Amino acid sequence: MKQAFIILAAALLLASIRPAPAAAAPYEGYVYSYWGEAVHSPIAYLPSRSITGQEAGGEAWLAANDLFATADGLLYILDSESGSITVLDQEWQLASRIESFERDGEQDQFRNPEGLFVTPAGHIYVADTDNGRVIELGPGGEFIREIGAPESDVLSAGFTFFPRKVIVDKAGRIYVIARGVFDGIIEFDSDGVFTGFMGTNRVAFDPIDLFWKTISTQEQRDKMIRFVPIEFNNLALDQEGFIYTTTADRTSLSPVKRLNPSGIDVLRISDEYLAPIGDYSRVRSTFIDIDAAMSGVYRVLDSTRGRVFTYNEDGSLLYVVGGLGNQQGTFRSPVAIANYEDRLYVLDRDLGRVTEFEATRFGQLVNEANALYAGGKHHEAAGLWREVIKLDANYEMAYVGIGKSLLRQGEFQSALTYLKLGNDRIYYSKALAKYRREYMQENFGFYMTILLPILLVGFIGRTLMRRHRKEAQVHAVSQGR
Amino acid sequence: MQFLRDARYTLHVAFHPFDGFWDLKYEERGRLRIALSILLAVTLTMILKRQFSGYVVNFNHPLELNSINELKYIIIPFLLWCVANWSLTTLMDGEGKFREIVIATGYAMMPLILVYVPNMLLSNVITLREASFYYVLETVAYLWFIWLLFIGTMTVHQYTVLKTIWTMLLTLVVIGVMIFLGLLFFSVIQQFVSFVYTIYQELTLRR
Repeated sequence: MKQAFIILAAALLLASIRPAPAAAAPYEGYVYSYWGEAVHSPIAYLPSRSITGQEAGGEAWLAANDLFATADGLLYILDSESGSITVLDQEWQLASRIESFERDGEQDQFRNPEGLFVTPAGHIYVADTDNGRVIELGPGGEFIREIGAPESDVLSAGFTFFPRKVIVDKAGRIYVIARGVFDGIIEFDSDGVFTGFMGTNRVAFDPIDLFWKTISTQEQRDKMIRFVPIEFNNLALDQEGFIYTTTADRTSLSPVKRLNPSGIDVLRISDEYLAPIGDYSRVRSTFIDIDAAMSGVYRVLDSTRGRVFTYNEDGSLLYVVGGLGNQQGTFRSPVAIANYEDRLYVLDRDLGRVTEFEATRFGQLVNEANALYAGGKHHEAAGLWREVIKLDANYEMAYVGIGKSLLRQGEFQSALTYLKLGNDRIYYSKALAKYRREYMQENFGFYMTILLPILLVGFIGRTLMRRHRKEAQVHAVSQGR
Repeated sequence: MQFLRDARYTLHVAFHPFDGFWDLKYEERGRLRIALSILLAVTLTMILKRQFSGYVVNFNHPLELNSINELKYIIIPFLLWCVANWSLTTLMDGEGKFREIVIATGYAMMPLILVYVPNMLLSNVITLREASFYYVLETVAYLWFIWLLFIGTMTVHQYTVLKTIWTMLLTLVVIGVMIFLGLLFFSVIQQFVSFVYTIYQELTLRR
């Protein structure tokens, strides 16, 4: 008896020792389930290295505000305080450093620049905020041109131009977000001539405000805050030449927009209850930067909780990385994100530091599976989704992926199981229609062989019963009862 | 056997309400145990429906299903309705006794079972495109139930049509008042208990 107890105690002790997590991260991985609940998920990206201004071989970045990663792995960091651009190569060695540029034989400098963009040819565009201009520099940092304030009748007389963020599309059109401009993104053509605004945010009305406004006098109305659309706070260009924008808007369900060339929002949201708005909590996420990755995936940076949310082209959350804190991999005030291949860079303004994250096995699997899935290669994707499920049995997207692949292969019954686990009612319904038809084709004969005799027997039995009853009545009548 | 015969009579009430409810009251065909069995069966149907209706039309979170909730949503409203209706009709010259009101209300719930159970089975083989049939049947069951409740109330109390409608609406108001009073009562009791407890605490901590 005593021995049994000891064995039992030993077994319990062993059971209580859990394997330590393979790589401890200072944040937790999660996704949202169909029901809008946060569900634990493996960590998709882990911090691999970080660098500050001094470590890069220069001054500290006192107010670094923007970050850009080019297709060949160069990293551009813009420091607003000193107005300098630091360029790092893939090994994070200092490639170059631009503090000033020569213009018409004179030295010129940036004043509090807030945004930068690098074209595939290596031309650097800087939103030189306090100087009210956008500067284009060549790959070696030489001055090419200056784009000043837009000139147009639609702008008011006292308009001052404070460009904050800039991007340039493949055709050379320049898109600028400026402070205090509510009309949308300022668009210049490739020659730097102002052509118009695009993608205005709608004015959000509050019924209560509207009520007060209707009953107040003109004097009162003049003193009230005006209804103005919320301005965009960041933008990014994706592979197809569409523009992603973010808005620090905590009320609407569309803080993220994907604008087509005519300025219409074409962002895909497969489930309107699970729109890409970051955390589904009372205190909403505040998006301050966005970055497009491969195959329709985009990442948004939330400054409220310091998290990077990664969505696929359908607007489904793939994984969440980062958080606020003091350890490597967490931030104090993250301001910009960039990505290069399977790496993710986050710039922290207060710490003056860039942190690099590398995809874990889970992150790589999800990225690859999602890329195949987005390309319509459901069968190849299903194999990877099965690997994902081995790592995270709660990952709904994986079940949907497998379900869709099974549906295409004609495995309707198992497709039903997977689509139900993935909570995809639309595809479940499609699979059910096919399964139903298949089932009836196979089993129609069987059911009919059962049903017909039952009906026949019932019918004969009823007729006999009636005849019997009638006879009994006739008999009773003839007996005089 | 008698129980089965009584149970079969509920179908007659559901399909011939005028005749059925008249006989319930004046021919004494109504049975309290049948009415309460229907109440129980409706509760059971709703529990089953939440769990087993087809995935395409079933939007219940499996982790949040709780059969106790059905007590809240069916049995309590049933009791509240009966009590409110009785309290009201006693003052408004209704001829029904409390027992008759319970019986009429219970029998009126029969369509919920008659429609919901087959509908639940059907919902397992329908797709999203055919889901509207499911919702139509749900509505039909509900309207049928309201119709029977209306006829039942009218017959039990021997009211005119308008007065029945008026009484039914007022009953809803009375239910609201009862819930309000109930909550008020609980709140006052809570305050009272915490007040006494505070005094007790004050006295024990002080010497």
